[in-house]
Amino acid sequence: MLDKIPNMKIYTNEGNPFGFKLQLLAKFANKPVEVFKVALNDPICKDFLVLPTVELKNGLKLFSTDAVAKYLFPDEGALRDEWLEWSTVNLAPALAQHLASGHRANPDALPVLNLLVRKLDDRLAESPFLTGDKLTAADIAVWSLLAPDGTLKGAQNIEYLKAWYRKVTALPEVQAVLAETPLAGLTFTSLLNSNRYGGLSLVPVHVHSVSESEKLLAETAGSLSDTVTEDELNNARNSFVQVSVPQRIEPRTVLPKVGERNVLITSALPYVNNVPHLGNIIGCVLSADIFARYSRAAGYNTLFICGTDEYGTATENKALAENLTPKQICDKYFDLHNSIYRWFGIGFDFFGRTSSSQQTEIVQEAFNDVYKNGYIFTESVEQLMCVKCDRFLADRFVEGTCPHLGCGYEDARGDQCDKCGKLVNATELIRPRCKTCSSAPVVRSTEQLFLDLPKIEPQLRAWMESSEMGWTNNARVIARSWLREGLKARCITRDLKWGIPVPLAGFENKVFYVWFDAPYGYISMTKHYTSEYKQWWIPAKDVKVELFQFMAKDNVPFHSVVFPSSLLATNKGHTMVTNIMATEYLNYEDGKFSKSRGIGVFGNDAQETGIPADIWRFYLASARPEGQDSSFSWNDLAARNNSDLLNNLGNFVNRALVFCEKNFNSIVPTMTLTKDELVLLALINREVRGYINSLEKAKLRDGIRHMLSISRHGNGYMQAQQPWVLLKGTEEQKARAATIIGVCANIAALLADLMLPYMPTIARTLFAQLNTKQTQLNPDKPFINIFLPTGHKIGKPAPLFTKLEQSFIDELKKKFGGVQDQSNGNKVTPANAPQTNTITAKPAASLPNGTQTVAQLEEAVRLQGEKVRQLKASTKDKAVWQPEVNVLLDLKKQLTAAQAAPPAAVASAPAVVDNAKAKELEERITQQGEKVRQLKAAGDASVWKPEVEVLLKLKGELATLTGAPQGKNKKKK
Amino acid sequence: MCEVDTITKIANSLGVPPGEVKLNSEKIITRTNNSKTVSGFATILNTLAQESESEIARNSTASREISADVYQWIEFAVLYAAPGSKDKHVSQQLLRDFNKLFSTKSYLVGYFITLADLAIFYSIYNLVKSLSPVDKENYLNLSRWFDHLQQRPEIRQGGNVLNFTTIYLHGWATGTHI
Repeated sequence: MLDKIPNMKIYTNEGNPFGFKLQLLAKFANKPVEVFKVALNDPICKDFLVLPTVELKNGLKLFSTDAVAKYLFPDEGALRDEWLEWSTVNLAPALAQHLASGHRANPDALPVLNLLVRKLDDRLAESPFLTGDKLTAADIAVWSLLAPDGTLKGAQNIEYLKAWYRKVTALPEVQAVLAETPLAGLTFTSLLNSNRYGGLSLVPVHVHSVSESEKLLAETAGSLSDTVTEDELNNARNSFVQVSVPQRIEPRTVLPKVGERNVLITSALPYVNNVPHLGNIIGCVLSADIFARYSRAAGYNTLFICGTDEYGTATENKALAENLTPKQICDKYFDLHNSIYRWFGIGFDFFGRTSSSQQTEIVQEAFNDVYKNGYIFTESVEQLMCVKCDRFLADRFVEGTCPHLGCGYEDARGDQCDKCGKLVNATELIRPRCKTCSSAPVVRSTEQLFLDLPKIEPQLRAWMESSEMGWTNNARVIARSWLREGLKARCITRDLKWGIPVPLAGFENKVFYVWFDAPYGYISMTKHYTSEYKQWWIPAKDVKVELFQFMAKDNVPFHSVVFPSSLLATNKGHTMVTNIMATEYLNYEDGKFSKSRGIGVFGNDAQETGIPADIWRFYLASARPEGQDSSFSWNDLAARNNSDLLNNLGNFVNRALVFCEKNFNSIVPTMTLTKDELVLLALINREVRGYINSLEKAKLRDGIRHMLSISRHGNGYMQAQQPWVLLKGTEEQKARAATIIGVCANIAALLADLMLPYMPTIARTLFAQLNTKQTQLNPDKPFINIFLPTGHKIGKPAPLFTKLEQSFIDELKKKFGGVQDQSNGNKVTPANAPQTNTITAKPAASLPNGTQTVAQLEEAVRLQGEKVRQLKASTKDKAVWQPEVNVLLDLKKQLTAAQAAPPAAVASAPAVVDNAKAKELEERITQQGEKVRQLKAAGDASVWKPEVEVLLKLKGELATLTGAPQGKNKKKK
Repeated sequence: MCEVDTITKIANSLGVPPGEVKLNSEKIITRTNNSKTVSGFATILNTLAQESESEIARNSTASREISADVYQWIEFAVLYAAPGSKDKHVSQQLLRDFNKLFSTKSYLVGYFITLADLAIFYSIYNLVKSLSPVDKENYLNLSRWFDHLQQRPEIRQGGNVLNFTTIYLHGWATGTHI
C-alpha cells in the first residue's frame, strides 16, 4: 500500500476492550497501526478526554471508536450504523456495569444484559451476520465487546449467537490481533481509567419492568444494617449505659485555661448603617453562634465576640442627611442590630461597638507599637476633592473607568472595581467623577500614613503557611491570590472627623481608616467584656487559644492579610486567626437581595412573618452557602420545615414521648437490648460521630444532615418494630415494647442535645418535655449513652413544630418579592399600598393605567412632583428618590396619553372601572375573612394578627372607593 | 433535556420535520418519518443532517473527516455529557474540560457550527442553567460558547435566554464603608 507512512496511532490504557476493537478495525481495513499503552495522566494525554484516542495519519484525533469505524468503512449502510451505536451505547455500558467490582456493580445490569443478548441471538437467527450476509464493522464491534471477561461462557439457549461468535473468532484477521493482544489481558473494569467521567458507569441501563426496581429497594435497605460490624455492635452495647457527666458551670467571665481547649469566636462586624439581610445573618453571626453553642456544649472554654463597625464616611453622610450627629445615628442603628440578633437568638458573650473608648485605646496603642517598630511611613498623597461638594472624597464616593488593563469597566468604584474585582486607587481612575454630584473632582495633595505591608510580607507568608490548614477552601484561595499579586503599602489615615484620632504630631486632624480600625474591634470589645482581655489576645506561653473568625468571602482579605499583618507588626505575640470560616453568598430566590428594590428578607422582616426564630435558624443553617453559592427559597423553607422538622424529627420525638406517657405512665420502662436495638444504636453512633466531626470543622449543613439521619433511623426502627401492636400482646411482647419505647425516649434526649446549637429554644422545650437537662457532648467518645435511665419520669409531651401551609408561603413570597418603600420601611404591596402612603400615590396604585381623567392625572402629577422635590432636597441617596421619580415619569406618560385620547371615552371609563374594582375588592375581602377565621381557629396570635390587618385595610379601601362605610369598620374615618 | 426533546429541537433547528420521536420497548430512541424508522440518537442525527439543506447540516457533513469528528461529539453527548451532567463530581469535570476546550476554539469542530455543538449544547443545557453567577464566570470560555449558541433563534427556539452577566451581592463587610 502506498499510504503506509505514517501509521495510524492508537493511544489506549491497559486492558481496554475498545482499544482492542480499534486494533481489529484497523486490521480489517488493512491499515498498519502503532499501539501506545498510556494512562490518562501521562503528559502525552494531556489533551485527551477519553481513551482510546486514535490519531489518524492526517493528524485528526478521534476518541470515538464508532467514529473511527465509520471513517474506515464509510459505505456499509444505515443498518450497520444502528448496530454500531447500539453496541457502544447499550451493550457496552451494561457489560461494564455488570462486570464492575464491588459496590460499583449495578445489580440491574444483568437482567438488561440478558435481554440484549437475546436480541442478538434473535437477530442472528435471521441472517449470518448482524446486517445481512456480509461481515461489517458492526460485527467486529459487538464481537470485541463480548470476547473479553468470558461473558458468553456457560450461557444457554443462544446457539445462533454462539455459532456467529465462533465464526468471527476463526477469521484470520481476528487471530492475528489475538496473537498480539490476548483476551486474558482485557477487562471492562479498565474503563474506569479510560476517562474522568466514571467510565461508562453513569450511562443509564434501562430496567424494563417495574417489579425489578421494587426488589432493588428492599435489598439496599437491608444492606445498610448488614454493614454494621461486630466491633460497632459491642461498642454500642458498652456505651449505652448511664454516664455521669459533671454539669458544667459557665463562669461569669470566660477566660482561657491552661491545658484546656480555648475557643475564641468572632463574627465579622456588621457596618452599623446597613440593615442585615438573611445572607448577612447566616454568613456571619448565625454561623458563629451555632458554632459557639456547639463549642460550649462540647465543654470548651468559649468566648463569642461581635459588635457594630461604626466609624467612616457613610455614617457621617447619613448623619448629615438625617440631621443628627454621627453618634446619634450609630445609637439608633446599634439598637436595630441588637434587637435583630436578639430575636434570632444569637448568644454573644459580648456585643460591642467600635465607637467605644476601649477601641480608641486599643487602636492608638497598636499604632504606636507598629510605628515604633518601623512599619509606618509618611507619604504625600494625591487625593480627590470635589470642589462643588467642598470635601475630600472617600474612595467609595468616586466613580470612573477601571484603570486595569483589559477591564475598562465604566462604573468602577474608587476602592475596587466590581467587574474585575481588583483593588483600585481612587486617583488612578480614568475620568473620575463625584458619586454625589457627578462633577469632576480635582486632585489635592495631603500627607498620609501608610502601613508598610511589603516589609511584613515575609513574616506573613511564614505565618500563613502554618495557619491556613484550618481555613475554608475559599479563604485559602483568596488569601493566596492576594499574596501572589504581591502586597502593596496601604494608606491607613483619612481626612475625616468621625473616627479615631491619629496619635501622632502633625496628624491630629486625621482619623484611622477602616483597615487600621474595624478589625481591632475584636480586641477592644473583648476588653470591654473583661479587663483581663489580654489572656485571650496576648496569652501566656502555655495557654493555647484557637481563634475562629466567621465571615462572608468578601471579607477574607481583611482577616487573612491586612489584620494579621498589622498584628505581626506590633510584635506582641497576639493570638492570630487559626480558622477563617468564610461562606459564599446566599441569593434570594435565584436573584439578589436588594434593599433598594425591596427584594428579599431583611432582619426585621423575619420577625414579622410569625415563623419562629428557631425555624429560621434551622433553615438558614441548612441552606448555608458552604462551598458554593446557595439560594433562599420560600418553598424550600416550607419543605424543610414540613418534611425534615415536622414529619421526621418532630414526629419521631413526639411519638416516642406520647407512647411513654400513655402506656408507661410517663416513666421510662426497663430496657433489655436485643440485636435490633444494637444495630440501631450502632447506626446512630455513626451519625453522632459524623455530627461531631462536621461541627468541629463548623460544617453546619453536614451536622444537620447527620442529626436528621438519627431521627430517620429512629422512625424506621419504630415502624419496623410496631410497639403499638406489641403492647396488646403477651407479657413477653409487652416487655419488647417497653424496650423499644425506652430506647426511643433516649434517642429523643440525644436529639435534644444535638439540636441545641441550631434550635436553642426548641431544644429547651424538649428538655422540659423530657424533664432533663442538657448533657455535655463528648467529642472523644461520640456515642449514645443512657440519658434517661429506667424509672425516670418525663414531662408533658407536645408537638415541637407546626406545619407551614402553602397558601401562607405563597403570600410571603409575594410580599417580599416586591417593591419596598424606602422612606418608612414598609412594603408597598397591592394589599396595603393605599394605607401606608400619602394620597399622592393612591391614584396610581389603586386604579389601572390609562383610566383616569385628565384632571385627576394633572393633580397626581403635581403632587408627585412636589414629593420628588422634597425628597431630593432632604437626601442625596438616589435609591430613595429614584422610585418616586419613576412614578412621576409614569404619571406624566399617562397624562400625555389621556390628553391625546378622545374625551368621551375617558370620561365614561372611571365609573365602570370603579365598579369592577369594587367587585374585586369585595371578593378579596371575603377570601381574606375566610382565611382569618381559619387562622384564628388554629391559634397563635402572631400568625393571624397580620392577616387581620390586611383584612381591615381591604375594607378601608373598599369604603374609600364606594364612599360608604363598611359595617363595623368605624375606625376608618 | 431528554433525548426525545433534544432530537425534536435539533430537527427544528435544521428545518426538517421531527416526525414521530419516541422510546421503543427497549428504551432506545427511534424516529419514524415517511414510514421509515431509524433508531439510536447519533444515527437519527445523521439522518436529519442528510435530509436538511441548512447551514448547520452542510457544515456537519462537509467531509469524511468532519463527519467523523462531529460523530464523536454526538457520542460524547450520549455517553458522558448527558449522564455526567446530573452527577455532582462528573459535571464539574465536564465543565472544566469544555472550558479548557473552548479556550482555543469557538466551535467543537472546525471553524463553524455543526451538529456537534447542538448535541453538546442541549445535553448540558440544564447543567449550565443551574450554575451560579460565580461558576459561570469560572467557566468563562464555556459560557462564551454557550451564550453565543443560545443567541441563535433556531437553537433557542423561543426559550429563555440564560443570564451570563455577573454582578454579585455585596455590602456586608467589616469596613465596607459605602
